Amino acid sequence: MKLHEYQGKELLRRFGVNVQDGKIAYTPDEVRGIAQEFGQAVVVKAQVHVGGRGKAGGVKFSTTPDKAYENAQKILGMDIKGLTVKKVLVTKAVDIDKGVEYYVGLIVDRNVQSYTLMACAEGGMEIEELAVERPEAIIRHRIDPITGLRPFEARAVALKAGFKGNLNKIATMMVQLSKACLELDCNLAEINPLFVDENGDPIALDAKVDLDDNALYRHQDLMHFRELEAEHPLEIEASNYGFAYVKLDGNVGVLGNGAGIVMTSLDVVNRAGAKPANFLDIGGGAKAEIVFNAIKLVSKDSDVKAIFINIFGGITRADEVAKGVIQALHEGILTKPVRMRIAGTAEEEAKALLAEVNSPLIQMYATMFEAADAAALEANK
Amino acid sequence: MAILVNKDTQVIVQGITGREGANHTKAMREFGTQVVAGVTPGKGGAVHEGLPVYNSVAEATSKHQVDCSIIFVPPPGAADAVLEAAHAGIPLIVLITEGVPTVDMMRAVQEVKALNAVNLSSGGKGIRLIGGNCPGLVSSGECKIGIMPNKIYSSKGRIGLMSRSGTLTYEAAKLLVDAGLGTSTTVGIGGDPIIGTTFADVLPLFEADPDTDAIVLIGEIGGADEEAAADYIQNHMKKPVVAFISGRSAPKGKRMGHAGAIIMGNVGTPESKLAAFAAANVPVADTMPEIIEMIKKIVG
Repeated sequence: MKLHEYQGKELLRRFGVNVQDGKIAYTPDEVRGIAQEFGQAVVVKAQVHVGGRGKAGGVKFSTTPDKAYENAQKILGMDIKGLTVKKVLVTKAVDIDKGVEYYVGLIVDRNVQSYTLMACAEGGMEIEELAVERPEAIIRHRIDPITGLRPFEARAVALKAGFKGNLNKIATMMVQLSKACLELDCNLAEINPLFVDENGDPIALDAKVDLDDNALYRHQDLMHFRELEAEHPLEIEASNYGFAYVKLDGNVGVLGNGAGIVMTSLDVVNRAGAKPANFLDIGGGAKAEIVFNAIKLVSKDSDVKAIFINIFGGITRADEVAKGVIQALHEGILTKPVRMRIAGTAEEEAKALLAEVNSPLIQMYATMFEAADAAALEANK
Repeated sequence: MAILVNKDTQVIVQGITGREGANHTKAMREFGTQVVAGVTPGKGGAVHEGLPVYNSVAEATSKHQVDCSIIFVPPPGAADAVLEAAHAGIPLIVLITEGVPTVDMMRAVQEVKALNAVNLSSGGKGIRLIGGNCPGLVSSGECKIGIMPNKIYSSKGRIGLMSRSGTLTYEAAKLLVDAGLGTSTTVGIGGDPIIGTTFADVLPLFEADPDTDAIVLIGEIGGADEEAAADYIQNHMKKPVVAFISGRSAPKGKRMGHAGAIIMGNVGTPESKLAAFAAANVPVADTMPEIIEMIKKIVG
């Protein structure tokens, strides 16, 4: 679960990380009020789940409350990479010219089977870009997931990265970030920029936090951070069914049993000259009702022109899949052509059931390639 | 022979009284796997389908010779179950459970590795974790410790198979059987970002196995396990390997079902994996059937 900057900052503050005072606002008037209350220059920052807000004009330094109002007018409602800005964070500004900007972040790193702490003296830039352009500028350090980052390790990393300022305070902030990461189950926790002011004191000017969905059950207090309106409505519905679903930008609905087979189905649809409209894994052992729900879900997507079903029956029975498809047809939910391949257990029974229905909307093929080709043909009509 | 498990392997099931644990215990026994006991804390003393149930792994190992434990414990207790098995000194631990928090897996994997080192240095067989979020492993015709369909693994072949995906493993195994080849051992390493055993860990076992002639590696986008495997193949393997990469058309930054199947920045891209395999002279099949064509060319 991706968090907004203000949510991430709120969490990091709980672990002692020094962040600027800030308040969330939904209208330019609210922004002016907050700026007046702070009585100093502020920064108005778009709160959307996407990087590169600054470049897109979603972050504006404002010297007066009226300037802040003006900037808020520009930012609220703005489109940043397809997302509409609905709220802004108003924070007290720092004098950027009187300090330096660094980067620190922790990320799940499968190569070391733990978190890797990354530190870089060139803050403010997106770390992905930096990793490509100047990988040698990033200092990497594996975190022991049982002990977390210790102060001596943090100091060593800070020194190696060439951080200037109060070494102990900077190291403390890194330790606090590591604690937050482990205790909150983060996929990613990043302070960028980590600003060191003229006194050498570190301040987290931005926070990017992404929580591990598998661990949310033990962080019920963080569930209010979830913004359903920021998610695709079909993704919300899918999560209610317990499906793994990702909306994509094509027009062939794709569903199958297992992440691997669905990923491969996307590839096969692409090879067939069409684009998948979604990724949908219905899981193993799927019964007719689950298949029915899956078709209901995919059919709601107006982008979908044809549906490609790819099932390998190990635990899943082919006749159950066929029953689910037929039910959708009978209930009038299935209105787009379904091209499917169901291999394995009870394949013959499935064929017999479909032969009985004998609908042009439902066609079964021997291989996933034939089924995908047929689905692509329908979608490209 | 094959690798890791065979007809003599004695298995316990952690979470045997749960729905998944019970169903798959039945299927494993039908396959011929020697399941000797189950563990469910609080249900010690019960008998499940003729098998004794114990309160702890230690109790089970005190009463039986245990070579392997398979875990069906739900996510909140799964990593703890792994550690219980590891501390009881069980040499092979297979974690099936999907959805275990990443931090739990990091801690468990690190501790299992430490216990493994201690065990090896005191003359033991070591302690290995496979998974989580994996279908398990099977030595065809001998022993299945996992959830894959029995039918496609009933007769022995000579192709080693390893994969990050469950269903694609079955698909590949079926194609290999239909082509008259079949599998020696199949290892599902799991679809999570943090797993106990990687492709590069399994490769040396296949290389040393007299019953395996060639290896099929089914990878997917995300992480750099395939790159590490390619590096190992290039430097250490004599046996031929054919690879397949799933999700090559998936967009960046979107998680494709598996927690580990995501391209983040420039890590985990199909391009990087293809380049690594090309450098190691490992052919990469574009489709599943092409895997079979490539393997046939190699093993004749």
